[in-house]
Amino acid sequence: MLSTAILSLLVGCALLFPANGGIWVATDVQHQPAAAVKPSAVATVATIGTAPSPEAPAGSEQAPDTGLSLFLRNGCGACHTIRGTEAGGTIGPDLSHVGSRRAIGAGVLPNTEEAIADFIARPDLMKPGVKMPAFDMLPKAEIHKIARYLKALQ
Amino acid sequence: MPAHQSHPRANSSSAASGKKDGAERVANQPIKVRLKHVLIGTICLPVVILLGAWIGFFNVGASTGHWKVTSLFLDLAMRSAVRTYALTVNAPKTLDRRGLAAAAGHFARGCAICHGAPGELRSPAVLRMLPQPPDLRLTVADWTDAQLFRIIKHGIRFTGMPAWPARDRDDEVWAMVAFLRELPKLDANGFRALSGESTGADREPAAPAELAECTRCHGSDGRGRGDLVPALAGQKQDYLFASLQAFASGDRTSGFMALPVTGIDPAAMAALAKHFAAQPPTSVDRDQIAATTIKNGQQIAQAGIPQRNVPACSSCHNGPGRNPIYPRLDGQHAAYLEEQLKLFRSEGRGGTRYWRIMATAAQRLTDDDIRAVSAYFSSRSESPQ
Ligand code: HEC
Ligand code: HEC
Ligand code: HEC
Ligand code: HEC
Repeated sequence: MLSTAILSLLVGCALLFPANGGIWVATDVQHQPAAAVKPSAVATVATIGTAPSPEAPAGSEQAPDTGLSLFLRNGCGACHTIRGTEAGGTIGPDLSHVGSRRAIGAGVLPNTEEAIADFIARPDLMKPGVKMPAFDMLPKAEIHKIARYLKALQ
Repeated sequence: MPAHQSHPRANSSSAASGKKDGAERVANQPIKVRLKHVLIGTICLPVVILLGAWIGFFNVGASTGHWKVTSLFLDLAMRSAVRTYALTVNAPKTLDRRGLAAAAGHFARGCAICHGAPGELRSPAVLRMLPQPPDLRLTVADWTDAQLFRIIKHGIRFTGMPAWPARDRDDEVWAMVAFLRELPKLDANGFRALSGESTGADREPAAPAELAECTRCHGSDGRGRGDLVPALAGQKQDYLFASLQAFASGDRTSGFMALPVTGIDPAAMAALAKHFAAQPPTSVDRDQIAATTIKNGQQIAQAGIPQRNVPACSSCHNGPGRNPIYPRLDGQHAAYLEEQLKLFRSEGRGGTRYWRIMATAAQRLTDDDIRAVSAYFSSRSESPQ
């Protein structure tokens, strides 16, 4: 009786181990992010980066947001040049006169404020394989302010 | 299977030869009987086992331990599996010791509860686990680096030994392996010093309760203990806060940070971010680095590498009025910056809602670029913006 019990236990083990694809060593089962911490955080996150967050020292050098200051603040100048400003990047096109161009996004979009804003938010949707990252994490209002500023660059 | 094959043979031989000599049939007879038994056995055994499990025949209590034969079998299976799976692990020739302090801090919080630590008594509850978590000071020598890596990264099924809390952070697992090699040499004081246990003397009354946990690794001066733990002192508050949220939600993965942020509410996170942001930044101790390397790094930081579409880092990371989520890099540990850039390059970093911008910027950096630009930022010490 004992030996059958031992035998069945061993066979039972043998059946258990291959379960779940792997063998013996547990892998990748529990890797879901710790969702428990998330809940009330979301509201706070939404405000951050837009305006100074509640506890942030109210922006000392936060001049009123103009299109140009938002452009520089978010690092667009790393890739784009606008003559007469500190923006001197050369990876993307020179935007000094972008407002007077007939079309943008290498000709796929009409040159309207709306289209410029759409392009800034999701350039990858307008032009697959584009080397400009999406900026859709910026608040819509900021993107529109930048777009209005760019459209006015004649 | 074999039983199945035997039937056609038996049938065909009787059909083809009709009344053949009985000798062969007699010879076939015992085989047939045995196969039938095996067949019945293989069908019935799982059913019997299942039935046994269902009526509660198998004792899952841990109090009496395993039968000798079971524990021998389990131990054999565990050791063999670790040995076999470790063959695929590419162990470095020498272990990187720069992450020792972080690994020690993690060990104190995440491993010592089961495995014990120098100078600490384990809870009697843990000692009655089955199997009992071994005292690692006595057992690490039994394993190779690759085997330890395998165990720590993936855990051990059916024993309570957990997997590493973050995916794709092999660098952290290797840091833990390096620490385990160090463990047998540590006495109680050595362990407490390395794991950054707070004495409580420098505790500020206004600081949140969780701060003592953070200073283990980040230091009470916020400069980061060890080259792979980032300095937080003087970092932008919004970036610190958003990063803590990212660790908590799993958008940024780090086993070292996963534990301390678990269960901290957003208000405490904000307070911690505020605390570290207000600390004065001091440039960290750094190695001697060739001036040409720093010069190359400066070139990349200020002008990028246009022919390879690498943008100028300074346009986002230096200068007044930048987005408060774009972190300061000045005076940060070079080794930490390098590690993060490599993670960004392989898209293993994650982060705040802005991380993809940085992943784009890091994509085309070579290892040499990364070393140079990290050395450059680390060598700068500028007042916080
Ligand atoms: C990592 C580099 C990079 C960053 C950062 C970047 N861009 Fe671009 N941008 C590009 C590239 C490359 C193109 C060209 C896309 C194409 O047509 O293939 C482009 C195109 C554009 C265009 C269309 C121009 C045209 O002539 O068609 C606009 C408008 C634009 N970017 C605005 C912005 C703004 C606003 C920001 C900051 C929020 C920004 N970019 C940040 C690389 C960048
Ligand atoms: C919940 C309890 C628990 C925690 C927490 C835990 N372990 Fe374990 N660990 C175990 C048990 C139980 C075993 C024994 C497995 C066996 O013998 O089959 C084990 C085995 C090991 C082994 C193999 C040792 C040997 O000689 O068999 C290593 C190495 C190890 N753990 C490292 C760690 C590290 C590093 C951490 C922290 C990141 C950790 N463990 C956290 C329970 C735990
Ligand atoms: C076990 C060691 C350890 C403990 C404890 C710890 N940290 Fe960290 N922390 C790290 C490491 C290592 C990193 C780098 C993570 C990475 O590689 O992605 C980090 C990263 C961070 C970052 C991101 C910094 C940046 O520049 O991106 C913040 C913010 C942070 N920790 C805050 C905290 C706070 C607040 C606590 C206390 C609640 C804490 N840490 C506790 C080790 C630790
Ligand atoms: C267009 C803006 C932009 C440019 C250009 C840029 N970065 Fe970043 N960088 C970011 C943002 C945003 C983050 C924060 C990512 C997160 O954690 O969400 C970041 C984070 C980092 C970090 C991690 C810091 C930490 O504390 O963990 C490093 C290192 C870094 N960048 C280096 C560089 C280098 C080197 C370059 C130039 C090759 C560069 N960056 C160019 C926007 C930029």
